[in-house]
Amino acid sequence: MLKKAIAVVFAAAMAAMVFAAPTTVIKVANFYDPMVESAKASVDWFADVIAQFEAANPGVKVETEVFQWDQIDVKSMSDFRAGIKDHDVLLSSPQLMAQHGLVGDFADLSNYVKKDFSKAELAEFSWASIWDKGDVNGKKLGIPLGVHTRALVWNKEMFAKAGLDPNRAPKTLAELVTYAQKVQKSQRDAGNSDFYGLGMFFGPSRATIELYFAPLIWEYSGDIWDAKTKKASFASPAGVKAAQFCKDLITKYQITPETAVTGTYDGAILDAFVNEKIGISWGLGSYWISAVQDKGFASGVFPPSPEGRADKMGISLLPFTKGATFNNSWDVSIYSKSEHKDLAWKFIQTMIKAENIIGYPDAGLPLRASLWTTPAMKTPFYNSWKQAVSTGRPMPPTAHYGELADTVAAALQQILVQDSDIADTLKKAQDTYNAQYGGE
Amino acid sequence: MRYRVGKVTLPYLYLLSATILLVGLLVLPFISGIAMSLQSMKLSGEVKWVGLGNFLMLFRESRFATDVRNSLFYILGNILLSTPFAYGAALLISSKFKQAFVFRGIFLLPWIIAPVVSTVLFRTMVDPAMGPVAKMLSTMAGKQIIILSNANLALITVIVHSFWRSFPFIMLFLAAGMASIPDELYESAVVDGANGWKRFIHITVPLTSNQLGLSLLMVTIWTLHDAETIYAFTQGGPGYSTETLAVRLFKMSFINFDLNMGSTIGVILILISLVFMFFYLKLSIGKDMEK
Repeated sequence: MLKKAIAVVFAAAMAAMVFAAPTTVIKVANFYDPMVESAKASVDWFADVIAQFEAANPGVKVETEVFQWDQIDVKSMSDFRAGIKDHDVLLSSPQLMAQHGLVGDFADLSNYVKKDFSKAELAEFSWASIWDKGDVNGKKLGIPLGVHTRALVWNKEMFAKAGLDPNRAPKTLAELVTYAQKVQKSQRDAGNSDFYGLGMFFGPSRATIELYFAPLIWEYSGDIWDAKTKKASFASPAGVKAAQFCKDLITKYQITPETAVTGTYDGAILDAFVNEKIGISWGLGSYWISAVQDKGFASGVFPPSPEGRADKMGISLLPFTKGATFNNSWDVSIYSKSEHKDLAWKFIQTMIKAENIIGYPDAGLPLRASLWTTPAMKTPFYNSWKQAVSTGRPMPPTAHYGELADTVAAALQQILVQDSDIADTLKKAQDTYNAQYGGE
Repeated sequence: MRYRVGKVTLPYLYLLSATILLVGLLVLPFISGIAMSLQSMKLSGEVKWVGLGNFLMLFRESRFATDVRNSLFYILGNILLSTPFAYGAALLISSKFKQAFVFRGIFLLPWIIAPVVSTVLFRTMVDPAMGPVAKMLSTMAGKQIIILSNANLALITVIVHSFWRSFPFIMLFLAAGMASIPDELYESAVVDGANGWKRFIHITVPLTSNQLGLSLLMVTIWTLHDAETIYAFTQGGPGYSTETLAVRLFKMSFINFDLNMGSTIGVILILISLVFMFFYLKLSIGKDMEK
């Protein structure tokens, strides 16, 4: 009797497996490791979005894949070349979109946008220049999830102590140097011997070119890459001036520590500022708003609220007359070999719904225009960030951006560390890059 | 007849699976790598045969010369530091000293710690804000020394880290060699009036030369191909002062997705490895023939 019962149950289970409605699985690749504490908020956000999507799409399951943020793009490209079909939705970098465009691993989302974005919805996104950065040769390869931008921030108490107006930002590069010198002198006279006036970062990282060298070249009316000739152009007189300015900060004015060349971007710009080792921080990212709040420099700004304010911290655009800050974002793309593109697009639509995207911790500042009209985003604190969003520039659309960034960062380090001739070093680096990638 | 044929072919059949794995996982990728080094592939996937064009492009670069120089300094520095320390450690753990077994465990620690973990450890030690080594150097120099922002000090630090990880391996080989040296040789030397240093030079070193040669060859090849520790340490910076060929290969292939240039550097690394192998084997065969 028992044997018969077991046999019936087993047969029923087998039948259920065979005849049950097949489950479609879509894979979503991101860089939020559930084992890492700092990624927990983003992991939870994705879990909520996935739960909403699965509830709205019965029979569809979502699996997440986790890769390193600086490897996810290369992973997509190399898997595409290997013929692997097993990806659907991926987070991506707009700086590498030109490369993705040539490789062909991202699907063109233009038709989806045309079909599902009303005029009003399109206007929500397209007001910021970052919207177009996912476009390559007329194809939309990525949808930005927010805006990352950077600002100049300063410690108001230290400004006041140095006899400076704590609410006035330096307006030019020369003023920036003067302010940093005064703050540094004031703090060192008070016994803070390892204090520096200005935090910068010149390490072996993309941040060096994105946050420092490129904006400076733009300020001096140059560019790091010529879109017409498709060649690197950072060894121009503007490039030499930009490199000289960086070098003078460390060697001539001595307001930036030598550790700017090593260490990490977070350490040099965020940690040093919140731990009061520097008075002014150039390049504080909008992704660090919660971190400065946690350290008491601001309150009510993350999540944004109408009472948001930064009493201890001043914030403004970088001190340029002609230049611009660097803007970028995390984009979301669909793998071109995906067998579930329509479902993948539905998942993206779930991600970018206003009520969802506002809570995405890694989005940075909101891209949706309507979110900026709320009282929480109209505070003086966020007005400053909005100016940076409106006036920012992206990196050049070269398909070899990674190599360009690496080459410029290395050249700058040679200039700063090995005291090599600036014009000569930049020229050699530019010629080496162009010999391999010039003209693309 | 059938029994004889079966007896002859059976061993080859046993070897077949291993051969298939060897060909599939070693020989085919090797050939594919060489082929890729002779091609140029556009990002769109279009492949062009360029012959030695990739190699010539590299040889014309000053950056490539820096990479080769750094690679050779890295290997030389590692071997010159590791060899005497390995001998000293091997003598200590091979001695009849009662607490020698304690040192066996301590000396093996650097080798068993994961490379990235030891890199983080070393980075902490040279951190200008809290690292004991950085603080000691700064006190001696009378000013702050930022080790990893100095081209020479950064390379020295990377070499010291590599030596610290490598010498236990050489030590084990040498200790095994020392264990096979008959005690009578040392006793005769003592009777003949040889002091400790002479016994080391005339008995220990010659009779462990095979073990030394083999272990140095392996450490040389590993050091030449080591990208992970340098990349975790300095990413090849500041500038290109700690960038070796292996680090360049890693950056080109896995960061910048330029697989053809990465393969080109890979072929160059294999050729350099073959030169070292030939050199070491010639030395050890020469010594065997002398004996």
